Amino acid sequence: MVYFINDIITGALIGLLYALVAMGFVVIYRASKVFNFAQGELVIIGGFIVWFTTMQVGLSLWLSIPLSLVLAGLVGYAIERIFLTKLIGESVFSMVMVTVGLLILLRGLVLLLFGPAVRPFPIIFPLKPLFLGDMLIPMNLLIGGIITVVAAVGLSWFFNRTRSGLRMTAVAEDHVVASSMGISVKGSIAFAWILGSILSTIGAMIFLSGKSLTFLASDIGFAALPVALFAGLESIGGLILAGVIIGVAQSLTTNYLDPMIGGSLGSVVPYIIMLAILLVRPTGLFGWRTIERV
Amino acid sequence: MTYKTRHGLRGLLAAGAMALAATIPLKAQAETTYNLALLSDFSGPYADIMPALASSREAVFDWWNATSGQKLGVTLNYKNYETRYDAAQVASLWPGIKSELDPIAVVGLGGPDVAALSERLPEDKIPMFMATAAYGYAWQSDAWIFNPRPTYSHESAGFLSWMREQRGGDEPLKVAILASEASPAYVDMAKGLELYAEEHPEELDLVEIIYTEVQPTDLTAQMRRVARAGAEALIVQTNTSIVVAAKRGLQANGADIPIMMSSHNGLPASGSALGGLDQLEGDYEAYGMAVAADEDTPARQFYETLAADYGLEAPWNVVTAMGISQGLYTVAVIGHAIEENGAEGLTGEKVREALFAQPITAEETQGFLPTLTFTPDAPFPLKGLQVNVGTVKDGKITIEATGVDVPDVKKW
Repeated sequence: MVYFINDIITGALIGLLYALVAMGFVVIYRASKVFNFAQGELVIIGGFIVWFTTMQVGLSLWLSIPLSLVLAGLVGYAIERIFLTKLIGESVFSMVMVTVGLLILLRGLVLLLFGPAVRPFPIIFPLKPLFLGDMLIPMNLLIGGIITVVAAVGLSWFFNRTRSGLRMTAVAEDHVVASSMGISVKGSIAFAWILGSILSTIGAMIFLSGKSLTFLASDIGFAALPVALFAGLESIGGLILAGVIIGVAQSLTTNYLDPMIGGSLGSVVPYIIMLAILLVRPTGLFGWRTIERV
Repeated sequence: MTYKTRHGLRGLLAAGAMALAATIPLKAQAETTYNLALLSDFSGPYADIMPALASSREAVFDWWNATSGQKLGVTLNYKNYETRYDAAQVASLWPGIKSELDPIAVVGLGGPDVAALSERLPEDKIPMFMATAAYGYAWQSDAWIFNPRPTYSHESAGFLSWMREQRGGDEPLKVAILASEASPAYVDMAKGLELYAEEHPEELDLVEIIYTEVQPTDLTAQMRRVARAGAEALIVQTNTSIVVAAKRGLQANGADIPIMMSSHNGLPASGSALGGLDQLEGDYEAYGMAVAADEDTPARQFYETLAADYGLEAPWNVVTAMGISQGLYTVAVIGHAIEENGAEGLTGEKVREALFAQPITAEETQGFLPTLTFTPDAPFPLKGLQVNVGTVKDGKITIEATGVDVPDVKKW
């Protein structure tokens, strides 16, 4: 029974990591209505920035972590300035296609700049797990889970309770209308990309702490995708619940069902849950239902 | 400038240079000249190992031209083609390669080459020689693509047989496999050993096969389950990221279960990804090829010869060993074909016939490979299979066992 509870806790924490990465999707979507297909690539860009400042430049973690977050923010800003700012007012589809191109470009850039070699990622969180009796909780996931909850609460408050957050929501509704109301569309979208890049870098630190770094790490973007769609692309708070449900379901499937069937059902379960909820509620659990009047 | 930096730059330049090189006619250097097409990946996922692998096999061809080739009056010209490890690229390049070079053999790199050319080579009657272990799904008769090593499952079965012998006792060895469904090759590695364990319950007790992502989030729970089941060995033949995650999972559980890796994700690569070889103290790598350890072996001596006399700059490691062994068994087969058919009029078909005609001895491959006896029944030798085992002792890679017999693994 203890192990069962432990598997549920570990699953919930992994789900919260997915939720953190998914938060990048949601933040960018809420400010621009753009679904960023390159979210996983932002995670590896963040990972490589942390690796570079720590392992190559040799900075201590206390210096490299804040510096990496700043650099990641600059990368997000640069991406928005170079690729997206000119598309303001154009169809959302164009911007989404740009993110598909971005996915390929960022992967290529990582390979070109750093090569495909597998590198040791710095140990940011203690490797020794937390022991609670017979239960064992990985420290990186535990601290990551706390960070995710704090980030979700903070961002929910920001988007729902502050003027800046509400302005970003207005931008997502319609670029032209928002602009005519005196809202800086460029500023809002740039801020969302900065935030998305920073969240991805935090996700990379939790995901990769003490492990290895290659461009394959971008696959976590696909793991986070069901969480974002399950929660609904506008809901930051909903990510927590969606992440926990998907993480626990995946953990129990991996630990109890997979050994019985000799397969990898655990990697498919998040998508099954996502499709099931989308069949019933196409906007996701907490997504906004929009009524269009013609 | 370090070796790696220098070769990294060379790797980048190589891809571009190849397009230019395609317009330059090959230079004949002896009475009879034959061409080899070398499939390479200087700009794809194996770009980091390609300079070492390519320069190693090229050094072997240069050595052969200067020694055996000179005596036989034959020169082997070779040319690299950039495939980016992409089956579509290989397929689109192949007609051009064939018309330009008319090669008597192709020296391949990996799965995309096999996928793209497995139907073409029998028609074109040109054999391809690989460097890696073989796969169960490619285990078919009348092959034109050959591996000097048996399947990954053969290699892991050989290692586990050795490990059980080292442990002693009559009980089966408890084993877990860590695989991934991200690639058919990774599934294949697990399925072959699974079948072997099913058919030999007195030898192996397969406690679990764990399928995970190629970059796992966390394997702590899975490793706890493996430790609780009393596993005595963990087989990870997939990639280094999974080795790293498994090691961290074992460390988190305070479990000390030795991991067995293969050549492509072996001790040097996984140690580097973990931050140092010392992290893999007591773990193993096992494959049907010489272990690139510090010991003074015939293979090491041959590497030194290539480095001293034939300009080989690649460091002594498992990738270099793969390139050299690939080059050596390729030239051995060609040598046999020339002995049987004379220096003139050699074709790909005659080279393939020579592969079956007589074994390639361990002496011919300078101890890099065991004696290889190919038959039309399989793309790899089915008899006399052996693996070598390397481990980390005091932070250094050492040879733990050589010439370990591989048990009979049935086709799956």
